[in-house]
Amino acid sequence: MALRKVRIQGDPVLEKTCKEVKEITPRIRELIEDMLDTMYEENGVGLAAPQVGVLKRIVVIDVGEGPYIMINPVIEETSGSQTGYEGCLSLPGKSGMVTRANHVRVRAFDENMDEYVLEGEELLARAICHECDHLNGIMYTSLVEGELYNNEELPAEEE
Amino acid sequence: MTKPVNIREIILGILMEVIEEEQYIHIVLRNVLEKYQYLEKRDRAFISRVSEGTVEYMIQLDYIIEQFSRIKVQDMKPVIRNILRMSVYQMKYMDNVPDSAVCNEAVKLAQKKGFYTLKGFVNGVLRNTARGLSDVSYPDRETSPAQYLSVRYSIPQWMLNKWLDQFDYETVEKICASMEQESRTCIRCNLSKASKEEIMDKLRRQNITVKENPYLDYALEISDYNYLQAIQAFKEGLFQVQDISSMLVAEVAAPRWGDYCIDVCAAPGGKSLHLSDKLNGSGYVEARDLTDYKVELMQENLERTKRINMVAVRQDATVFDGASVEKADILLADLPCSGLGVIGRKADIRYKMTEARQQELVKIQRKILDTVWSYVKVGGTLVYSTCTIGTEENQGNVKWFLDNYPFRLESIDPYLCPKLRSETTKAGYIQLLPGVHGTDGFFIARFKRTE
Repeated sequence: MALRKVRIQGDPVLEKTCKEVKEITPRIRELIEDMLDTMYEENGVGLAAPQVGVLKRIVVIDVGEGPYIMINPVIEETSGSQTGYEGCLSLPGKSGMVTRANHVRVRAFDENMDEYVLEGEELLARAICHECDHLNGIMYTSLVEGELYNNEELPAEEE
Repeated sequence: MTKPVNIREIILGILMEVIEEEQYIHIVLRNVLEKYQYLEKRDRAFISRVSEGTVEYMIQLDYIIEQFSRIKVQDMKPVIRNILRMSVYQMKYMDNVPDSAVCNEAVKLAQKKGFYTLKGFVNGVLRNTARGLSDVSYPDRETSPAQYLSVRYSIPQWMLNKWLDQFDYETVEKICASMEQESRTCIRCNLSKASKEEIMDKLRRQNITVKENPYLDYALEISDYNYLQAIQAFKEGLFQVQDISSMLVAEVAAPRWGDYCIDVCAAPGGKSLHLSDKLNGSGYVEARDLTDYKVELMQENLERTKRINMVAVRQDATVFDGASVEKADILLADLPCSGLGVIGRKADIRYKMTEARQQELVKIQRKILDTVWSYVKVGGTLVYSTCTIGTEENQGNVKWFLDNYPFRLESIDPYLCPKLRSETTKAGYIQLLPGVHGTDGFFIARFKRTE
């Protein structure tokens, strides 16, 4: 297990567009392992490669039902909407209200470069949107409605 | 991405599991704190304080809620009543949380949990409570003494009624009052490894507060430490955590050099270890319990304290073991019980126990005694103990046992300090009461096999 350093907002790597992955190399396998380790260690539900300083289109997500590894993910369809707090490992201790699609269909490749389609709702849909944004250099802070809160001052969520 | 957590939602989850689903609070809380170990210390402390406090004072909180609600707590939706309970607890017992914040958070939480239509109800009850809390009239100690105790100390009425049948009012009030005091940690010094002075010295060097005990000179009370596992003297196996009441069991058993001892329900093994220490390497202690898990627990203790005259084995006490017949010089029967003597340590036990369950326990206790009595040698000793208060499981079982088996009670005065001696100890048993004796509630009787 190896942990990687999570880049914090302000780091230019978080503002760049990532490149597609052409093939799985040992280095990419190692990167994916490290991303999972890092996500679990930091209690995240998702992590994108640029957050550990690598400009490749790779994200890992685990909202509590086991990990998804998504290489070159493309969101094909979205519907509905959900509004709620989210936070980011690249901005520790903060949260903000963000509206996202409630249902997402994403096409991606797994760690063996096998293509698959995943449909997610609610938290999973939110995580997919959030992580795919990272691959295009977008932080959730640009989508926050209202204030950015410190987590300890977070008001209860209205739904 | 990270998912923000709502502290009050976590607390509600704990209460739902503990109160509505009858899980044990210490286990639920431990799991939750483990899951959210990344939360700040302050948040973790808030979670523990509010969930433990709400459970501890539940009867009192329900009484207050019913002063301001036309609907009885029992008739409310479980989510709603637990939101109200945790909110009223904060209003009454936590000055640093403003009442308005408590109300707002409660309303939002109710809404989040899908009770949009009950927002107004939650808001109304809590705002009225906030306004009227200091003027609530509680049951009067003179005119309704039992209800006063029940609401003041949050003890179920049926339990109080039984205690009031057995003890005078002042004693019962002392028992109740002791339940809300912070419980102490008692340790038994393993004198075969180090002197008490050495152990006290080691503890104090780690800035742990140490107090001596009036009943037993090898017992100490310790406080101001974080984790047991971080205490050097513990790692070295120099002491065992054990309440004074439980230490008195081995005192009353009073093993002699070379005695063969069987502890039929031994886990986690404190009393067996104590016997083994008293035997000073001689004799043998068989510590038995029902499951592999419990045997493993004891095994850990055995390894930590390295001893040669004790073994942990799996054996169901309700199943007769022919090989044990007339084998034991000393048999410990520290049996599963209602645990009412330790509700100061485990606040939720009082709500989980019912009269029917207590009756079930009496049946199990008798079944075990009926199974194991013959393991005792003629002339040997059987020590019966429970960590509960009340005649059914204690004096009642003593009488039943004497009526049906070839045993007689034996005075336990020789093994107790003068302070603890009484009419009953002369007869052969003692009911220790929290608040009266300064120990957990505990019962010990000593029998001798006559034929």
